[in-house]
Amino acid sequence: MRVMLRRLSFYAVTAWAAITLNFILPRLMPGNPAQDLINRSAGKLSPAAIKAIQVLFGQPHTSLISQYLTYWRNVVTFNFGVSYSFYPTPVIQVIRQSIFWTVVLIGLCTIIGFVLGTLLGMFVGWRRGSWRDALVPVTTFLSSLPYFWFALIAILVFAVSLRWFPSSGGYGIGLQIGLNWPFISSAIYYGTLPALTIVIASVGGWLLGMRNMMITTLNEDYVLLAEAKGLSRLRVMFTYAGRNAVLPSVAGFAMSLGFVVGGAIVTEIVFNYPGIGTVLFQAAEGQDYPLLEAIFLTITMAVLIANLLADLAYIALDPRTRES
Amino acid sequence: MLITPDVEAMAAGPEEPGPGRSWLRGILAPKVLTGLVIVGVFTAMAVFGPMLDHADPGAITSARLQPPSLHHLLGTTQQGQDVLTQLIYGARVSMEVGFAAGILTTLWSLLVGLTGGYLSGASSELLSMFANVFLVLPGLPLVVIMAAYLPHSGSAGIIIVITVTGWAWGARVLRAQTLSLRRRDFVEAARATGQGPVKIMLYDILPNEVAIITVTFLGSVVSAILTEASIAFLGLSDVTQWSWGTMLYWAQVSGAELARAWWWFVPPGLCIALVGTGLAFINFGIDDVINPRLRSAGSTPRRRRSRALAGSLARLARPPVRRAAKGPEAARGPGIAGGPGGTAGGTVLELKNLRVEYRGGAAPVRAVNDVSLTLRRGEILGIAGESGSGKSTLARAVTRLLRPPAQIVSGEMTYTARDGRQIDIAGLSDRELRQFRWEEVSIVFQSAMNALNPVLTLGTQIDDVLRAHRPGMRKVQRAARVRDLLHMVGISPDRAGAYPHELSGGMRQRAMIAMGLALDPEIVVMDEPTTALDVVIQRQVIETISGLKDTLGFSVIFITHDLSLLIELCDTIAIMYAGRIVELATAGQLYQRPLHPYSQGLLGSFPTLTGPRRTLSGVPGYPPDMRRLPAGCSFQPRCPRALAACAGTPPQLIRPQIPDPASVACLLYDTDYQDHPEGLTTGGGRA
Repeated sequence: MRVMLRRLSFYAVTAWAAITLNFILPRLMPGNPAQDLINRSAGKLSPAAIKAIQVLFGQPHTSLISQYLTYWRNVVTFNFGVSYSFYPTPVIQVIRQSIFWTVVLIGLCTIIGFVLGTLLGMFVGWRRGSWRDALVPVTTFLSSLPYFWFALIAILVFAVSLRWFPSSGGYGIGLQIGLNWPFISSAIYYGTLPALTIVIASVGGWLLGMRNMMITTLNEDYVLLAEAKGLSRLRVMFTYAGRNAVLPSVAGFAMSLGFVVGGAIVTEIVFNYPGIGTVLFQAAEGQDYPLLEAIFLTITMAVLIANLLADLAYIALDPRTRES
Repeated sequence: MLITPDVEAMAAGPEEPGPGRSWLRGILAPKVLTGLVIVGVFTAMAVFGPMLDHADPGAITSARLQPPSLHHLLGTTQQGQDVLTQLIYGARVSMEVGFAAGILTTLWSLLVGLTGGYLSGASSELLSMFANVFLVLPGLPLVVIMAAYLPHSGSAGIIIVITVTGWAWGARVLRAQTLSLRRRDFVEAARATGQGPVKIMLYDILPNEVAIITVTFLGSVVSAILTEASIAFLGLSDVTQWSWGTMLYWAQVSGAELARAWWWFVPPGLCIALVGTGLAFINFGIDDVINPRLRSAGSTPRRRRSRALAGSLARLARPPVRRAAKGPEAARGPGIAGGPGGTAGGTVLELKNLRVEYRGGAAPVRAVNDVSLTLRRGEILGIAGESGSGKSTLARAVTRLLRPPAQIVSGEMTYTARDGRQIDIAGLSDRELRQFRWEEVSIVFQSAMNALNPVLTLGTQIDDVLRAHRPGMRKVQRAARVRDLLHMVGISPDRAGAYPHELSGGMRQRAMIAMGLALDPEIVVMDEPTTALDVVIQRQVIETISGLKDTLGFSVIFITHDLSLLIELCDTIAIMYAGRIVELATAGQLYQRPLHPYSQGLLGSFPTLTGPRRTLSGVPGYPPDMRRLPAGCSFQPRCPRALAACAGTPPQLIRPQIPDPASVACLLYDTDYQDHPEGLTTGGGRA
């Protein structure tokens, strides 16, 4: 329980740091982003929208402390102002429309990539010196490839040449978004190629990490003893070696998650997937700072929640952490 | 003050030979060489390429979207620009950003990691927290935001952004390393001599972190190149400055993948991945040097099935010499006290000319050399020797637990079951071996902490054995058996739900014994089961073992370097030296009249609790280097009574006083060399 509280407070601090960073950055940067934004709108903005921009990016003639407090109030009430690239839609609405796609696609792909990579790593590590070792240089190469490049190749091969999957979008045109079969099947059809790209690009990293831990774990006495006990090979591999070897992977989930999510977001852009990555791209292109900031906060919070879940899994997997 | 990473491995002695000490070998490994070549080629391309190719990478021509041809080796872009020229100029920007950001990131990580690890208290905690927060923040969105605020700022801006977002991982790794180095003796010594903290960090700690710093640096270069590509691909860097990422940006913006212009975007991606792979390969090589375990063993264990099979057939053809004593123990069950077999029982295990070699280095190391032993039913056979004498290797050979590069080269291991059935242990198939294990022979390891699976409860680990070998047992029965077993070794049965770390050291070791007895095996191999315990707990464990042996009637092979313990506990004792048995005698004989000069030395190095007072003499010198054994007797260089002939003649195990079963491998007792009769008459070093 105490471990849990410690982790929770760590994530609270991290969330605070992210939100504060978001406040400091535009005020640190050269120039005046707030005035830029207001000038660029050329009088289109309502006084309320201008106020929101100033709260987020810098108010003239106001002390930093009171700016910080007002900023926090806006963050807590999800008041991020109006998006420029999707004018006049409020930022929070843009995010609400796209976040679902991203959570489903990237969430599923990250889990599948982790499970698949870990299982493969376990098998490769179990028997060294076999043909399976050849997987190591191959996966090293795969994990060095930029996700978006992989996405370009996937489109070229499977969408343009073979015409198996559509090359862009998240669902068929003219379908009603909702819990109806035509939409769901279309979303699965459109999502397959991006999903494959993310899974294949992320599997290598997990595989290599698990393989190395597996090799280290196989030298442990408890694995040797499990063999001496005459247990079945699968029991030794999963419950004795694998179960212990996976712990660093779960603990390292936090580190890798940021990388995987970053890669996956860029993949969305290539597929023009209606998720938060594509929106981020459009926001960056249009220097839509309100939207950028809100997306940064959203992704950070999502990653923090995922990390918290990984921590819970770790505590469930390793009894030693449960001690006070 | 450089600590070579192999000091411990060397100290562990020839029981674990293999890991090469030379860094050179690590660098010359094929993987590392490949990596160096790849990185070298791209570095050359980045440095010299633009000098050789004077074309303007941005020059627009009318030759649009041309596939590769002699004129344009890699084709052209939609603007008619030459892809190869762009690739060459792109290499310069990408590598420049990669290495510059890599250096800055590493320096920053080093600063935070080294000071955070060396200092203690609040400032250290704060630095660690700082790094952890940055570690969890998703890098890419942060990069995107920062880059968006610095539009088109060129390489310098990108390098700063990558450094600010990418240092945390390295800082964490280096902090952990510094923390562990800080407590090492040589750092303590430097502190004691009054060196300042900065000096200690720079001169004592830093040089020992070179390998890890290199790994961190190479890792950050890879991630910097990838991040640069992502930023450029998103159009957040200066899109007119050619890098591999910018090329991909233009390709994607112009829909190259839809126009099937693969030559445009395939090469830059491959270049990024190749550089990444090359750097990763170099890292693997360094990892292998730091952590020799990761190095692949290269050879899969391959038993000589045919030969072993022939042995087992020969064994079956011959009728068993002596039938096992069948008495009330036939009905042995849990908790039922059977009559102790005593030393008079039949043979349960016979080893003949067993030889085990480690085949990893240049020459095979013979860890067990020509060992023949007989274990009788109900007997405790002790095997004593210094570390590296091959006693643990022998234990693993008997249980067939040797892993490559160790392998049984020759010899026979015959197990005789209670019903007289004889089994050639070396010839068992994997399936038969699984059934044989624990059912007939179980093993107790030295460190119960390491031998128990840390993530499973005690009960589950015992239950595992029952589930594997007694598929007919119901869950309730198994749980009852687990409780019985724990009770038997004096652990409260409600501790079945406890995890290993929740038990005390003595309890863990007794739990190991309970586990070893789960299937009522005939033989329990105990490999230094008490060495890691303090004397009081040691006593308790020994009493548990002898008590259980007397009630259950199993045989024990007890391995230790503690000869005085063996003399109290065992029926027969074998003394091992450099892989050979040098003396085999009953405990009483060995105590009263040790024959071999080595045994005499060993007995002189332990005080006994009950025996008469005597001077402790010990054995002079150090255990032998198993890779370079002397031609004659291995003990000769340390032997206080060595003869001239000892240097060249390897002694055979002989029985010098024939009615007496004691045997010894020493020329002092060989009639051919007996010009030193005192060896027979005096009882050795203990007057």
